[in-house]
Order: sequence, then structure tokens, then C-alpha cells
Amino acid sequence: MTDHTEHDHPHDHAHPHDHDHTHPHQHGRSPHPTREDDDVALGYHEAKFLALKSMLIEQGLLTADEIRRRQEANERATPHQGARMVAKAWVDPAFKGRMLEDGKAAARELGIEVTEAELMVIENTPDCHNLIVCTLCSCYPRSLLGEPPSWYVSKAYRSRAVREPRKVLREFGLDIPQSVEVRVHDSNADLRYIVLPLRPAGTEGLSEAELAALVSRDCLVGAALPGR
Amino acid sequence: MAERLITDIGGMPDGEVPRPDVPMLFWEKHMIATFNVLRDKGVFNLDELRRSVEGMAPEAYKKSTFYGRRLDGMTDLLVEKGVIDREELAARTAEILRAGTRDHG
Amino acid sequence: MADASPSFALGDRVRIVDLGKAGHVRTPFYAREKVGVVDHVCGAFENPEERAYGREGGRRVPLYRVRLMQRDLWPDYEGAPNDSLVLEIYHHWLRPAREQEASR
Repeated sequence: MTDHTEHDHPHDHAHPHDHDHTHPHQHGRSPHPTREDDDVALGYHEAKFLALKSMLIEQGLLTADEIRRRQEANERATPHQGARMVAKAWVDPAFKGRMLEDGKAAARELGIEVTEAELMVIENTPDCHNLIVCTLCSCYPRSLLGEPPSWYVSKAYRSRAVREPRKVLREFGLDIPQSVEVRVHDSNADLRYIVLPLRPAGTEGLSEAELAALVSRDCLVGAALPGR
Repeated sequence: MAERLITDIGGMPDGEVPRPDVPMLFWEKHMIATFNVLRDKGVFNLDELRRSVEGMAPEAYKKSTFYGRRLDGMTDLLVEKGVIDREELAARTAEILRAGTRDHG
Repeated sequence: MADASPSFALGDRVRIVDLGKAGHVRTPFYAREKVGVVDHVCGAFENPEERAYGREGGRRVPLYRVRLMQRDLWPDYEGAPNDSLVLEIYHHWLRPAREQEASR
């Protein structure tokens, strides 16, 4: 397991990552995990967390190393993993069928371990556009995609996505025609969801990797269309 | 007739969805990892954490941030289970704020 | 509370009842007393209403995805007439609904 002790110093935000380190940088992820928030003042919650952490470590309930290792493991989950699943489904109809039947098993085929109870993939069609929300908290397929975007966990999204989804989608720049159903999925219990967007026109010549690059995190929730 | 949970906000009016992505702070990532480790060790489960967050005062919930809620829910739960002492946590928090330095070592 | 009623099947018309249950529940208020259709039979899961109080390893409860029409959920719904919403409901929150039954 990679030893990160040599990185325990504050990074200057302006510098590119020119360190030699062996853990993979995930596509589109935020900076190096041991970067400290030097440009953010120490606030109440951070202080509370630091106090909590020291108490838990002193009690022998966990170690700093266990936290650090788990944080690194969490960083391996990124929206790119979801994008890979979508791209493969676009080029391989049999995989798509398996993915719609059992998202977890399909992810495992790509070497992705989903730890939530179930992963359900909801397919957009020409007749139906899907949007995912968790009104009660912030349920999201974190082991696949990482932490959700801040807008997804906002109270405004959680309260309005179920009631006025078309208006919310317009805020995201999406105007779904009246002839297309907008279907909202409230992720309120044990299942976790991603949207399988429609493959954009004119992408016939693209490789799987190029197709995956068209699929952003917001596409996987239904708040964006691929390639835009 | 049971009261509606403070977290049960589906359908309530609200303003525009805040679009700009707010990246996670370093401490927030560590806090989430800490939650995961405690959960994997069986100290608590996710449903207990949710229930703990639901117990916040409604005004506090309205003003709360997502990661702040996660932390507060977790510490309340740990206090409830007798894992940590509330006064000691408060004292240590105050001391860290007074010292003004972060030590994520 | 034990619920010995038979399972629901795909396509069954159901009402999401308000059990008036206090404490941790996962049935949002906006869906209570609404009528919809079983869209997916999810299998059985531990009841979060029990797990939330540290009672783990209990009897598993069937979970269903229920599809509701948005026009039934919101009197002022502004979208298309066939817009819908799907959410997950545990067995004990569901009752069979007759063809003529409407959302309240």
C-alpha cells in the first residue's frame, strides 16, 4: 500500500502535480488527498472533527492509518467508472442487457466493486428522460461514482426535483419536450441508481474510451446529456 | 398522526438549485472516511446515522450544511452510544479553535 | 409489526398508506395516501425502521418500486400529463388499491 508520509506538507495550489507517487489520479478528481485546506480558515466543524478523531484514536477504536487508507480507497470511486459502464453498454448490447438486469454484476465485469445493496441502471429512451434524487438524505451510488456533487445534496434540489423536475432541468440547461416523459426516481431506500443516457448522434466512429469521455457525472444523474 | 421528519422535504418550495460545484475540503474527506471505518467496524449503521440527523432541531437543520450535518449526526450518535463524552468533545473542539492550528497527522 | 398479507406483484395497483408511525421511516410525506402501480419487485431487505435503533438482523421486509403519476401527487403540477415518479416502499406501507381508487 502506498505510503503517503512524504506528502504530509501543505501544497501550493498553483503548482501542478509533479510529485512521483504511485497512487492513480482519477480522471476529473479534486487535488491530492493529503493537501491541507490552508486557504480555508479553521472552522467549528473541522475543529470538532479533529477533536473527535483524536478521541477515537486515543481510545483505540481506529487508527489514523485506517482512516487514511479508507480515504484513498474512496478516491478510487469516480464518475469515470460510471462513464465506462455507459460507454460499454453503448457498444455492446449484450452487456447493456446484463447491466439493466443487474448493475452490480455488470460493474464487476469491469473490475468495479459496488458495495451498496443494489445498483439499478435506468435507461433513457426517446420517450422517457430519467432524473435521480434522494429527497430524504443523499443516497447516491458512492462506491461507484464517489461523493455526489454539492447540488445533488442541496435542499433546493432534494425538495424541488420531485415536484417540478422540468423547471429544475431547465436550470441545468435541459428543456425536455412535452412529448417525452420526465420520470423522477427518489432513491429513498436500499437501491442506488444511475441513468444510462441515450448515445448521442454522430458518435458511431468513436472508441469506448472516447465515448466514456462524453459522459459526465451530471449525465449519470439525469441532469445533463452526454457530449455537451 | 406522526410528525413529518425534518429531512422529509420532498415537494417543499425552495429556491434555485445551487449549481457551482463546491469541492470537498480535506477534513470532509477524512470525516467521510472516518464514518466509513466506524460503520465497517460495526460501531453504528447508516440507518442510525440518518435517524440521528433527523433528531436535529428544525432550525438547526435548516441552517446546516451537508458535511456539518454528517459530522453532528455522527458525534450525537457516538455520545448516545457512550463511545465519547460530549463535554470532552466540546472542550477539545474549543481548544483546537483557540490554538487555531489544524493537525491532520 | 408482523404483516402476513401476500406479496405484491409487478403491475399491482397499490395505495401507499400513512401508518402514522413516529420515528425513523423512509416513506416520504408527499407519497402518503397516493395510489400507484408496482413497477419493480426489489426483494427483501432489513427494515430501516428497526435498524435505525440498533436492532439489526431482523426479519427482512419486501421492498417495491412504486410508480405514481405526477399529476396525482401535486395539484399544481406543471409538467407533461404522463410524467411520473418512482420510489421505494416497504411492504407494510402498501395496501392493494381497487381500480376506481384515487390518490387522496
